[in-house]
Amino acid sequence: MSALKRIATRYASLIAFIFVVLAWELGCDLFQVPAFVLPAPSAILTAFTTLSPSRWFEHTWATLEVALLGFAIATAIAVPLAITITRSKLVSRVVMPWLIVIQSTPIVAIAPIIVVTLGAGVLPRVVITTLISFFPIVISTATGLASVPAEFTELSRSLRASRNREYWQIRMPYALPHLFSALRVAITLAIVGAVVAEFVAAERGLGYLILYSTSSFRIAVAFAALVILVASSLVLYGLITQLQRRLFPWSEHRG
Amino acid sequence: MTSRHNSTLPSRSAGAALLSGLGFSLLLGLSPSAHALDAVSVQLDWLPAGDKAFVYAGVAEGFYRDAGLEVTIRPGRGSADAVTQLAAGNADVGTAGIGSLMQAAAEGGVPVKAVMSIYSKPPDAIFTVEGSGITDLESAVGKRLAMPTFSSSNALWPAVLERNGIAPDSIPVINTDPSGMAPLLAQGRVDMTLNWVTKAPESESVLAQAGKQLQVLPLSDFGLEGYGFSLMASERTIEQRPEVLRRFVEASRRAIEFSSAHPDQAAAAVKAAVPEADLAVLEGELRNSLPLIDNEISARDGFGAFDPALLSTTWEWIADSMDFDRDALDPASLVDTRFLGAEQ
Repeated sequence: MSALKRIATRYASLIAFIFVVLAWELGCDLFQVPAFVLPAPSAILTAFTTLSPSRWFEHTWATLEVALLGFAIATAIAVPLAITITRSKLVSRVVMPWLIVIQSTPIVAIAPIIVVTLGAGVLPRVVITTLISFFPIVISTATGLASVPAEFTELSRSLRASRNREYWQIRMPYALPHLFSALRVAITLAIVGAVVAEFVAAERGLGYLILYSTSSFRIAVAFAALVILVASSLVLYGLITQLQRRLFPWSEHRG
Repeated sequence: MTSRHNSTLPSRSAGAALLSGLGFSLLLGLSPSAHALDAVSVQLDWLPAGDKAFVYAGVAEGFYRDAGLEVTIRPGRGSADAVTQLAAGNADVGTAGIGSLMQAAAEGGVPVKAVMSIYSKPPDAIFTVEGSGITDLESAVGKRLAMPTFSSSNALWPAVLERNGIAPDSIPVINTDPSGMAPLLAQGRVDMTLNWVTKAPESESVLAQAGKQLQVLPLSDFGLEGYGFSLMASERTIEQRPEVLRRFVEASRRAIEFSSAHPDQAAAAVKAAVPEADLAVLEGELRNSLPLIDNEISARDGFGAFDPALLSTTWEWIADSMDFDRDALDPASLVDTRFLGAEQ
């Protein structure tokens, strides 16, 4: 009995998932829910066969390419920006209001303008993804860099350590847990950003496929694309957690 | 939704179409192997669908290649989007409802012109279910109508009602996403939707799941007239690449002829480029668009032409529905038919 309980506890989330899917399937069957309202899980599974694996891969890669590029650029901009903000009060005063303006602007509303301005191709989609995902990285990293106990920075100064050493050997290690938390949030936002961009302008991608399928009332295909989107988000989220665990195992239980 | 007698677009075999395409390329002295192809980007007004099949057929059947053109197709997000993309220089040519061009011109002008008419009748229609009791506008009073949030049909709706002596507020309207309209109708949450006739096959399939049958009432039956879906080009293309545009318009005309004569092959061309599309729906959409392309107006004026009187009528409908002054613009200034071949 205790072994059964142990297994149930260990696989609680999987069991709950299976239970929800079964209830969903039975509910659709029992209440004769039309496929254009909510397709049953079995219909979603069948929808995967309506497109060839290579076409699914094409759509998935189109979205991941934009999400990963946007995420990489967001990280490359956000981390140095966070360091600059914590190093200089002047820069912080000048830049912070702009960051808040960008974050407060609904990107969905300005996405069509970005597409018109930047033209066809992958560029406007990457810009939209970057804009959506970079803010949490800046704020969390800056918070982490500023959270170093004052005695540590005072000690480094008393030992005449350079500002660069202070940042790389004291502040950055303190900021790592914050940075990785932000990266996990940002990667899921990057997927959302790529989908938002594809809703506005794209010829392929999972967001485009969802838009196309819903506009032609093939809701099961749209749900199948959603399943891949969610799975992609979970995998990327897991990869960042693994990266932190492998490279900075000591940072996991802080922050 | 029956296809009418094909008067301006004679039925032809694929072989004949291919031969004429070849003859056309020889006429121009163009051979893809001898000359580099001219790149042309085409901005569609919406996602790939059967009513846009001619562009895909033009690529698949080689009409554009034979005209020395390498065509790339970009799906759009509405006529206003297509006109904006053309104006911004993000595409060379495009397809859009001429109403959107007129609206953009009245709002301040855009460097875009319509170069060939495709629909000489408006595609707007009321979709309802058999047995709803809605057979005309009078019987629609008091019934609930769903319309897409962004559609050229929305603006026309009150003007159509007013010209038929019906107060627009006597029919309650729900604005919704286009993908929500057929499900709302199928579930009986609304009594009718405002659509393009070309979208009937998709609505039919949704209604069939609820055991209902679609009934289509074209707004042209209630006096709405004018041009619709048209081929457009940016002024930059018109000024800087007139010869390329002339070849594109001619090849498009041939592609439309081919698509009208062979809807199955044209639908297959879309399916080949867009595997997620449903072949039967694509063909149905294309067949439903044929009466808008080939009708007594195109027979009278020639396919692709813009009759000044009908163009003025089109503008009057747009001006009245959007509250523009009818004198705000000369609709003839928005079209440039120099690129139509001698055949029109």
